[in-house]
Parts: sequence; C-alpha cells; structure tokens
Amino acid sequence: MMEIGLAVPRVDAHAKVTGQERYAIDHYPPNLLWAGARRAGVPHARLLGIDTAAARALPGVVAVLTAAEVPGTNRQGIVHKDQPVLVEDHVRHCGDAVALVLAEDQERLRQALALIRPDLEPLPGVFDVQQALQPDAPQLHERGNCLSHATIAAGDVAAAWADCALVVEEDFQVPWQEHAFLETQNGVAQLAPDGQLTMTVSTQAPFRDRFEIAQALGLDFQRIRVISPYLGGAFGGKDGATVQCLLALAALHAGGRPVKMVWEREESILAGYKRHAARLHYRLGAQADGSLHALECRLYYDTGAYAHLGGEVLELALEHAAGPYRIPHTRMEGWSVYTNHPVGGAMRGFGVVQASFAFERMMDRIAAALGRDPLALRMQNALRRGDRNGAGITQVHSTGLVPGLEALHRHPLWLDRRIWCEQAGPFKRRGCGIAAVFNAMGYGRGLPDAAIAKVELTPAGTFRIYSAVSDMGQGNATAFVQIAGQILCQEAAALEVVQPDTDLALPSGSSSAGRTTYTYGNALIRACRALQEKLLHWAALMLMADAPADLVLLPGRVRHLGTGRDLTLVQIAAMLPEGERFSVGQFVMPVSREVPETGKEFFIGFPHCFFAYAAHLAYVEVDLLTGRVAVCRYLAATDGGQVLNPRTFAQQVQGAIAQGIGYALSEELLVEEGRVLNADFSRYLMPTSLDIPDIEALAITTIEETGPFGSKGIGEVGINGPLPAIAGAIEQALGVRMHQAPFTPPRVLAALEAHTGSRGDAA
Amino acid sequence: MRLKLTVNGETRELEVAPDRRALDLLREDLGLTGVKEGCGAGECGACTILVDGATRLSCLLLAAQLAGREVTTIEGLAPAGQLHPVQQAFIDCGAVQCGFCSPGMILAAVELLRRDPAPSRALIREGLSGNLCRCTGYHMIIDAVEAAARVLRAGAPS
Amino acid sequence: MIPVFTPHSLSDLWAALAQAPGAMVYAGGTDLLVKRRAGLLAPPALIHLERIDELRGVEERGEWLRLGAACTHTELLAEALVQTQVPVLVAALRVLGSPLVRNMGTLGGNLCTASPAGDTLPPLYALNAEVELLTPAESHRMPLRQFITGPGQAALPPGAILGSVWVPKPSGWTVQHFEKVGLRNALACSVVSLAALLQVNGSGVTERAALAWGSVGPTVMVCPEAERCLIGRHLSLPLLREAAAKAQQAVSPIVDGRADAEYRRTVAGNLLLRLSELV
Repeated sequence: MMEIGLAVPRVDAHAKVTGQERYAIDHYPPNLLWAGARRAGVPHARLLGIDTAAARALPGVVAVLTAAEVPGTNRQGIVHKDQPVLVEDHVRHCGDAVALVLAEDQERLRQALALIRPDLEPLPGVFDVQQALQPDAPQLHERGNCLSHATIAAGDVAAAWADCALVVEEDFQVPWQEHAFLETQNGVAQLAPDGQLTMTVSTQAPFRDRFEIAQALGLDFQRIRVISPYLGGAFGGKDGATVQCLLALAALHAGGRPVKMVWEREESILAGYKRHAARLHYRLGAQADGSLHALECRLYYDTGAYAHLGGEVLELALEHAAGPYRIPHTRMEGWSVYTNHPVGGAMRGFGVVQASFAFERMMDRIAAALGRDPLALRMQNALRRGDRNGAGITQVHSTGLVPGLEALHRHPLWLDRRIWCEQAGPFKRRGCGIAAVFNAMGYGRGLPDAAIAKVELTPAGTFRIYSAVSDMGQGNATAFVQIAGQILCQEAAALEVVQPDTDLALPSGSSSAGRTTYTYGNALIRACRALQEKLLHWAALMLMADAPADLVLLPGRVRHLGTGRDLTLVQIAAMLPEGERFSVGQFVMPVSREVPETGKEFFIGFPHCFFAYAAHLAYVEVDLLTGRVAVCRYLAATDGGQVLNPRTFAQQVQGAIAQGIGYALSEELLVEEGRVLNADFSRYLMPTSLDIPDIEALAITTIEETGPFGSKGIGEVGINGPLPAIAGAIEQALGVRMHQAPFTPPRVLAALEAHTGSRGDAA
Repeated sequence: MRLKLTVNGETRELEVAPDRRALDLLREDLGLTGVKEGCGAGECGACTILVDGATRLSCLLLAAQLAGREVTTIEGLAPAGQLHPVQQAFIDCGAVQCGFCSPGMILAAVELLRRDPAPSRALIREGLSGNLCRCTGYHMIIDAVEAAARVLRAGAPS
Repeated sequence: MIPVFTPHSLSDLWAALAQAPGAMVYAGGTDLLVKRRAGLLAPPALIHLERIDELRGVEERGEWLRLGAACTHTELLAEALVQTQVPVLVAALRVLGSPLVRNMGTLGGNLCTASPAGDTLPPLYALNAEVELLTPAESHRMPLRQFITGPGQAALPPGAILGSVWVPKPSGWTVQHFEKVGLRNALACSVVSLAALLQVNGSGVTERAALAWGSVGPTVMVCPEAERCLIGRHLSLPLLREAAAKAQQAVSPIVDGRADAEYRRTVAGNLLLRLSELV
C-alpha cells in the first residue's frame, strides 16, 4: 500500500536499476544535429570580432552562430538577467560562450569548434573580492562589481560588546564547490513547423525555463514546451538556464531538425554554476554563563562573472549567519561580488554551508574559552519555538533543534566518544566534533512559493499525478504517490506520477529550496481531496445514494458502506465527462507576517519562516605522518517534521552529509588568474565509497502543522554540518584549528607544524 | 570495420568506425542507454559494462576491442521481466536516488560478489570504489550489496 | 576515424607496426585513451595488445619471476605467485586506481607511462626489477631504473614494445611494505608513496634495506644514504627519524598542483616512521 509514513521503495527505482529509465541525456531523436558552444577561454577580454569562416566551411557543419544571430535580449538569468547567451563584446569568464555550432555529428562539431577564432583583447582581470570592491577596479557590469550589499541586524551590537564576558574573533575561507552531478547539462530541442518549440532537458525549473528562453530569444513563452525527465542529479546546478537558451537558439537554425547538446564533464566544470567561494569574518561575544550576546560578521561571497542567484545566496547566508541560536545583538553584513571567476550560483545549502562553518566553529571557540561542554553550550543557546533568531524573526513554526541535540546527547556514539578517541593507534589521533545547523525552506517572502497539482482518474481506473516539480533524485515523485495513495486509498499499481511537462502539468515553481514535497505536496493533498470528493459525489449519483458521506474510496473501487455495494473506478471513469476526471489543487507556502526593519536590501527572500534543524556528530581520525583525515562514523539527528518516508528521509540526510564531507576533505575548485586548474574528475576530487563512513540518520519528528501530513523539507540542512563538525574533531584530535576548507592532508600537516613547531610524526 | 559481437545474449553485426568508443556504440548505435557517461575518462564508473563477464569502463574501450566478445550491459543482466538479486536489493534497500550511477554500480557489485560471496562492508566499499555516487553517500548501496550477498548465498541464481 | 589493429600474436604485432609506422600501442588504454581524448596525443593509428598471449602470464623462471607486460593489475592480484613472492607489489596494486581501472590497466602500461606517481614503480624499483624490450629482431633486458629516464619518459625505442617485467625472486626480505598517500582513498594519483623492503635478522638487526619513493621526484627516488643508515642497527623511531632526514634531503618533486614540495618532503620522511610499527 502506498501510505504516508512507510518506507515504500522509490517508484522510479525499478526502471533505474534496469537501465530503462530515460534521462534527458538518453534521448537521441532520429535525424538529429549536434550543438556545441565555443567558450572564450580567457577570464576577461573585449571580444573584437570572431572568425567563423573555417568552421562554416567544414563539411557537415550546418550553422555557426554568434551574438548577431541572437534575437531577443540575448540575456538570461533568474532574477538579474545579466548573462549573454552569446557574448557580444565583453567576455567575463573563461566559460563565456562566444559562438554556437550546429553539426551533423560530434566529431565534426569538435573540429568546427576548434576552428573558430575569437579576436580577444585581454583586459585586466578581477580575481579577488576585495579588489573588485575597490573603486578603481575594472567594472564588470553596468551596476559595478557589487551585485548585492546588505545588512541584517538586531538589537544594538555596538553597545553590546561591553556586556560580554568573552569576545572571540576569527576568519574563515571556503572554496568553490562543484555540483558534479553524474548526468551533465544537456537537452534536445526541436522547432515544429507551426512554431512550437519542444525541449527535453535536464532541468530543475521547466516552467521558468520557458520564460528565460522566451526573453533571451524574443519568443512567445506559451509556444515553448519543456519536458523535464528524472534528472541524474542537479543539487542546484540545473536551476536556471544551462543549455536551454543555446539549445533553443540552435533549434531555430536547424531547419526543423531536432538538436542535441551535451556538455562534456570538462565543459560542465568550466561553464556550469558553482557554490560561491567565500571569506567570512566573525566576532562573537558571550556572557559568563554562556549565553550568546553579540555577533558581528562580514561575509564576502564571490559570485563570479554573472549573478545567477548570487543575491539570493547572500540573503540566505546573512539570514543564517547567527546560527540556530538566540543572539540578541547582531550585525551581519555581506557582499556578493562580481569577479572574472566561474559563476557562483545555486548549490545545495545555498550560502548557508559557508556561514555554518563559521558560526559553529565560533561556538566551539566560546565553549573552549568558557570551559563549557560544546553540546551543552549549544543546547543552552538553541532556538526554541517562540524565540527570536539572530535576524530578529520570531520562530513561529516547528523548531526541533533542542530535541535533536538531546538525541545526540543520549546516543551511544556521544556517550562512547572518549573511549573511542583513546583507542587511537600509533601515529593516529582521534577527535569528535559536533555541529548544530539549520536551513530555511522555500523562497521566503516576496516571491510566491506556489504550486498547482493536477490529478487524473484515468479511463483504466488508475490515478495519474501530473508532477510539476522535477525529481532530481530527491524522491519527490515517490512522496507524491504516497500522498495520493494515502488520501485516495490506492495501491502502488494504481498510482502513476508523470514527470513535469509544461504542456500537461501546471506551474509550480522550481525544484529547489527544499520546497517541492512541501509546496507541491500540499497542493496535491487539495487536488486529491477534491478528486475524492468528486468521485464519491458521482458514485453517489450512480448508486442513487442520498449521502456521499456514506461512501468510501477503496483500492480500485468506491463502496457504499450502508449497503456494501461497490462501483469500480473503471465504471465511474466511464461515466465522467473528460474534464471531470481531473482535479486541480493550489497551494502557496505561508510567509512570515513580520516586517523586519532590517535586511531591506533584499526584495525577495527575507525573511523565511520554515527551517529544518539538525545536530551532527563526527568521529574523525587524523594520521600524524601524512595529515590524512578519515571520517570514521557520522551521526545526524534531523528535524524535518513528520516523516513521510523514513527511507527517503535517511537518503536525503546521508547524501547531503556525503557532499559536505567532500567539501570538508577534498573538494575545491582550484582557480588561478581566472583559470580553472582542475576541470576534470581526476583532479576535482569527490568522495569515493572508501571516503565516506556509515552515516546514521535519526529523525526528530516534530509536527510542522502547515506541512503535508506535518512534514517539511530537509534536502539541504545535512550539507551544513560536516565542515564544522569535522573541523571541531580535528581540533580535538590535534589541538589545531582549521580555518580554510577543505582540510586536505597538506593543509592539516601545515597547521600541525604551525601549532607544534614541527611537522607531523609522533612524540 | 565490420564488427561481430554478442550483446546481452544476441549476436550483432555492425559497420562501425574501429575507434568508436564502446560507450557510443552501445548507447547510440544499439540504443542501450542504460550504459551512462559521467566523465569520459574512466574516473566515475558510470559507463561500466561486462565484457566476457568482467567489468570494463566502456568509455575507454574502442569498438575494435569488442570483436568476438560477449558484452553485457545493465539491460542484459537479468532475463526480461526478472531482476538480479543485486537489482532487487538496490530497490529494497534505498540504494537508488537519481539512479544515474546505478547501472554501473550494480554491475560492479555483481562482479564483486562473484569474486567474494561474503564481503565485509569494508570490502564492499573497496569493490565499489571505482563507481562514484553523488546522491547517496554510499551507505544504502553498501546495505544493498550486503543484502544481495545474503540472497545469493542462500541459493538464488546469479 | 583511425584504424585500430588487433594483433593476436607478436608476429601480427610486428606486421601491424610495419603497416602503420606512426601507430601507438596500448593495452588497457587507461592512460593513452584518456590523453587522446584530452587532445594531448593524436596518433594516426592504434594497436591494442590485449589479445597477444605472449605478453601475458606470470611464471617462475629460475631465480626470476616473469610478469607479462600485458597482465592487467587485476590478473596480477589474482596470481598466487605474485601474492606470495611480492606482497610489496600487491600492496601497490590494491590501491592503484580503482577495481575498474585495475581490470583494464596493465603493468606494462604503468611502466611505459612512467609517471612519477605510477604506483607499481616504487615496488619494482625496490625489487630491482628489469624490463624486457622486444623488437621483431630480438629482445633485451635492462634494469627498470634505466628504462625510466624522466617524468613520463621511458627508454622505449620506436618499433619496440615492453614485453615482460622480470623480478628477481625476493629471498630473505622479512618486511615488504608499501604505503601510498593520495588526496582521497581511491581513484587518486599518489602524492607521496613509499616501497620498503627490509631484511631483519633473528636479533632484530636490519641486514638489508631497499627503499623507493614515488611522486617526490621526476622519477622514482631511491636514497642509499637512508638505506645505509638502517643497516646493522635495530629499527627504532629515533633511527628511522635519522633515515627520514636523509630521505627528505633527496626529495625534489615536480610541481603538479596536487601537493606542494614542502608537504612531499616532509611526508617522504614521515612514511619511513611507519616502519616502526612493523617490527
């Protein structure tokens, strides 16, 4: 049975384990053309001209397009449309597309791309956020180099320092992180004779894609159909146009033939969006009893060549910068700054991962300075329902951090930690670190976080859910089937979910921000209840029963309880006019009713009012001879409200933590003078199965009353814990504080040397 | 070149460039899109296939090398309508999220279990260390391989 | 599109090379095909060696072990002779690449690629292995240490292939140790590695030592001073620190972005200290 609360297997798992499931990348329509982009290859330049003659002359090349051939605005972007589809005259990063080629096959496409000669006049590059903010720095955009500068403040921090018994100050640095989804950016598109453009693309936002394409290319968005199959991973990197505008442009020049574009891994790393590299400066004050009192921080986020969601990332960073704690006096200031670097955009944990590293390490500093147990200190300061957070916003909804910390406190891994640490072998040191983290759900205020669900009773007597929010692996399709199964009382075989197709489903926003199960799920509940009511009403008519309340929907049938008479759903479907077999439900995520006097620079986002919370514990062993860090065990207690599917819940927690561990141990984009040095999987190092330990995921089941069956989204919060938890464990093991992620063996050994005056080895 | 080989139990003969990647031959020429490309350079394992029963990276195999070989892709792992115990375990144990790594991971697990029918979790991790997964953190994949190992030891056909 | 030859014997191979003189030869392809894809090489033709039986197999020949150059790493790991005689090589093979890479990559390929970080190299240097080069006319052997001439450079004349690796059957070594340091635990290029062979007698005195480091120089680094330091004495941490200091002086790593020279120097010495756990 498909019911809420059960660990039902993913509905898409069978097709995926047999290789039957077709991702966007698996579509090869007949008679297709291949499209590819020529990238600038220099970080900052004037594009003076571009010689495409040799490429055009190559047999098998159908078209070579430049900015001159782009109709419309030639600008894409989600909030700020500052990114050209094809560069006109200003190259802002190495991955900027300067030309687009259509060819008969991949081999000739490659040859043609190599023959294109852009005439580039190099310009002085801007490679540092501080440098970019100088008035005399080269200006990368008309608005200057500062995409967003904002402050969120509460209380009176200037006066508050005097009341602090202890003040600690520290700087932190984190690199760009790569999504590294296994299915790279790709799609196929075709323009029909009637002008309808159909695109099957690996995307998190099929409905918004239509607008981005339409505005960039001067098309009518209603003549664009976007189909979003299951994605082979996304994590934010497929939110906003990647291939979409280029592919649509190609389709316009393909003579009606289908066009396919696939970014190879190296191009994906060079041209795709990234997590923002950041520097954070923190100053935190506490009172003698351990209560946090004052926080001042400055966050510098490198948003690279174009905005993508750089302003919104900054908003979330600042909103979370004080941690999940009560801090009455705060001043959190941030900058999201343009540079000639790869584009910083949306990535799971969206600005919060960086801030979490900082605020949690500051908590450990306070704990150490006051001689307090770090878990107890967090418990003391943790937000509870009714508290104001560091941004001054009242926590109205489910706030399960304290039970999460308590669960950690009772757990054998916490209780046994010292014994485990004492058992370190020769040349090894062991430590344990914790983190209390949180992550907002949804778009926040200013942008409606809305969904429209559509459900159908098919003539075969089954139910079809028209999902409108991409399933990129998080498993929302399964959640939707469970929700429908729960309300409509149907078995798995009678329930089907169709992946988003803008012609069939209804606009429901992007698959991002931990929102899809909550927002679409709530809309689906309404749609299912409406359909249930409708079917019972019709069944009552058909059975001549005078009260629909006497009828109940059962697997495959409706039963009149008083008489025991059944009607099959096939029979009912046959009686209904087509329109009556469908029901629609709408939902908008509630927004905070507070109107803060701070954070006014943010026209969307601030404040959020729903948060997932988690308490993490990491067991870490460091090798003194090599500086290698091994995460041996990991525990997370996560508050996601009620759990719709315990297995999916644990999957999300484990997956997010694994990406966080990668960011803590080995993942960093190495960029020098605007050039990426490690643009392939042999040098950009994600964790293998030998790098991630078993991860125990506990559910803290608060009730989020506004959520579908009491749940809320937890897709992101897990990624925020590993950096600080592992850093804390390294500090306990070695007495060394790591300020820069990832904590690679060379960095750990260097820190050990600085700390002890000798490098490595054991006494 | 004229290439003759067996794919998923069927003899196939096709005209193909000798240096065409096995990956492209399988995906594009034979429609076996269960074989995935993640990196093209042997670093992710998504393209894993079986050649004469042993796992290979199809992105680093050329068509000419397949002459006379028996190739098995994920589509041919089990007879139509059936699932190999590893596939079933992946479903049951939550080892599939986005699923893009799953075909390669499953074939690597099948080979691992043929070599070692009762592997520890550590040995399973080692056996799968050439297959990257970005979604799961590997925990439930290890669970699935342990579960499949038990089923196979109890006598299910492999 | 380029031709790809599939010789089934050495004579097929010589015929193919005669037919396509610029052709490049490969076995597993895990280095060559990756480089080709990256545009670092563009051979006019390719010849793959995986069907030539004369290039495979592992056997004892008198005082030597012969390892066929086209043996895959997985095949070598499965060979009882390799497991019992050269556990130092086994330790390196187990951490080379990944199981998938090991199924395809070959010993000969690892040697001919001659990367300073090649995992099989330090053990084979420590074992004093030899390579056997084959041409249509003849075969001749030379020490591996002479065969590798620089980073990515092997003394393989045009028209010749690496046919076998000959390892003197190790006798008397009581310790065969290998450690690789990578930035993750699989699919990682070594940033420092150490192969160590020790012969320690019944009184705990080291009689012989062979040490070889990977990734800390343009080719494998050997350090006779460090070896001499250990001989005639009991292994102890202070002694190993002395040897480590000598090794650290000999280190001269190439720059590759994975780890800085300072790190490689420090760890090259530190890895010796691990030997204190083995006796």
